[in-house]
Amino acid sequence: MEKVLRINKLSKHFGRIRAVDKLDLDITTGQVFGILGPNGSGKTTTLGMILDVVAADSGSFRWFGQDDNVKARKKIGAILEMPCFMPYLTATQNLRITAHIKKCSTDNIGKVLKQAGLFDRRNDKFKTYSLGMKQRLSIAAALLSDPPVLIFDEPTNGLDPEGIAEVRKLIKDVAGSGKTIIMASHLLDEVQKVCTHFCVLRKGKKLHEGRVSETLGEINKVEVAADDRQKLEAVIGSFPGQVAAQQNGSTFLVTMKEDSSAADLNDFCFARGITLKKLFTQRNSLEQEFLKILREND
Amino acid sequence: MIRALKLEWLKIRNYRLFWILIGMYLLALLLIASGGMLFLEWLKSEGADFRGINPTIIPIYDFPDIWQNTTYLATYVKVLLAFIVIISVNNDVTYNTLRQNIIDGISKKEYILSKLLFIVAMAALSTLLLFGLGFVNGSIYSHVWGAEYIFDEMEFLAVYFYEVVIYCTLAFLLSLLIKKAGFIIMALFLYTLMFEPIVDAILINAPIFRDGIAPEIVNFFPIKALNNLISVPYGRYIFMEIEDDVAIKALAIATGWFVFYLGSISYLLNKRDLN
Repeated sequence: MEKVLRINKLSKHFGRIRAVDKLDLDITTGQVFGILGPNGSGKTTTLGMILDVVAADSGSFRWFGQDDNVKARKKIGAILEMPCFMPYLTATQNLRITAHIKKCSTDNIGKVLKQAGLFDRRNDKFKTYSLGMKQRLSIAAALLSDPPVLIFDEPTNGLDPEGIAEVRKLIKDVAGSGKTIIMASHLLDEVQKVCTHFCVLRKGKKLHEGRVSETLGEINKVEVAADDRQKLEAVIGSFPGQVAAQQNGSTFLVTMKEDSSAADLNDFCFARGITLKKLFTQRNSLEQEFLKILREND
Repeated sequence: MIRALKLEWLKIRNYRLFWILIGMYLLALLLIASGGMLFLEWLKSEGADFRGINPTIIPIYDFPDIWQNTTYLATYVKVLLAFIVIISVNNDVTYNTLRQNIIDGISKKEYILSKLLFIVAMAALSTLLLFGLGFVNGSIYSHVWGAEYIFDEMEFLAVYFYEVVIYCTLAFLLSLLIKKAGFIIMALFLYTLMFEPIVDAILINAPIFRDGIAPEIVNFFPIKALNNLISVPYGRYIFMEIEDDVAIKALAIATGWFVFYLGSISYLLNKRDLN
């Protein structure tokens, strides 16, 4: 796979606090990479360094396997913390500045504003926007040059539930189009829903790195219950997709083979005259994993 | 070059305060360059006389003296151009658009270039306007005429341009050092027109200082260094010896400050984290 970004022993301290401590990271094309960590774990500082607005103390990073960072940044759409625009300019006028810097055509402005749901407000000044609209405008700015790489830093910070849903949908749509995305977040749920890969940072150190699906997909258990418990036990015993079954009060916890799903089990039972009254797939949530990772490293 | 200048233009062209300040500046320039005769008429109506001479015949608009006379006065309103620079840089700092511009893909050098070209463009515009106004007023009032007079001492226009550029670069540096635009504007205004001139006057004239090294040191102060570029020209009308050349020493000191300002801007932007 092609390397998008290689970070090598990157470090930064503020006074006596080590914000980022010898961080190594590789990101390849097509990944949606979540940088997960509690507040103050060095996520934004890391993004600031790879975007050249925070000076690194030591270590290095390379974009696209080449050395010209200014040129590389033109191929990256990035938002760091708060949306930053001229309050006295309209959305269109602000995006013209972005297009000018990125050396891209202004023809896309209408398209990205529609994508962000701001087209009707395009001629209103930035200062009249709500926080959600500001956040969406910065996503529009990041998308403007149709860059292969996008960086989002806490993209749903400060938004109401509706705004969060909108922004996540926007990011998912973008991720679906095959772009590489680097996203920092302290919201586990967000990383779980959007990312393919993730790493966990704490106090500037990388504690864990891996695929979201591997970390979550280790256990695949289905909890089932029916009125006729004995018959259910027998049917489960003959279900080819199961590895083990364990009675747990009035329910059975069935450990499944990797290729079989709860739907298969439901079909199987129904065909044998059992109507399930409970069918629940248990997966590990990233939250449990995250807490486990933090605990292991204490 | 054009690209860097266009970046600044995109930011500033829809900014109302910019146009208000530019308007005020142009008005001030117009008054300064063309109001001299009105002032002399007023003196006359008040009954002032200069050793029996009618004030309106004082040749302030004669070529080539007109260049030193108008550029000297015009340097007093350069603070208005500095205010525009302060507001422009301060906007980028407080709204974080400086950081966003860097993230979007310009180098810090390009950012500095965009502001410097903006300063140069304003200074050039101002110099051109002074030339135009000087030419028109000279055509009306000058007692002498001819290319050898009109185009003599044009170096004052060049030096005026240089002085405005250096002063605005100082404003650029201050805007990176201090976040509060209102404070910088007040501080720069008071320092330029009051604090330093008062200190200069004390060091040059006070009996305990004037015989020592102090009057020489004053020439190295940042504002005095600029003021020395174009000397007060009006002494010639009361038959005093005046400096009517651009002093090389003053030029060297001013250039020293210019290099210092540019170096500091570059150092600040490259060393500091943009948060």
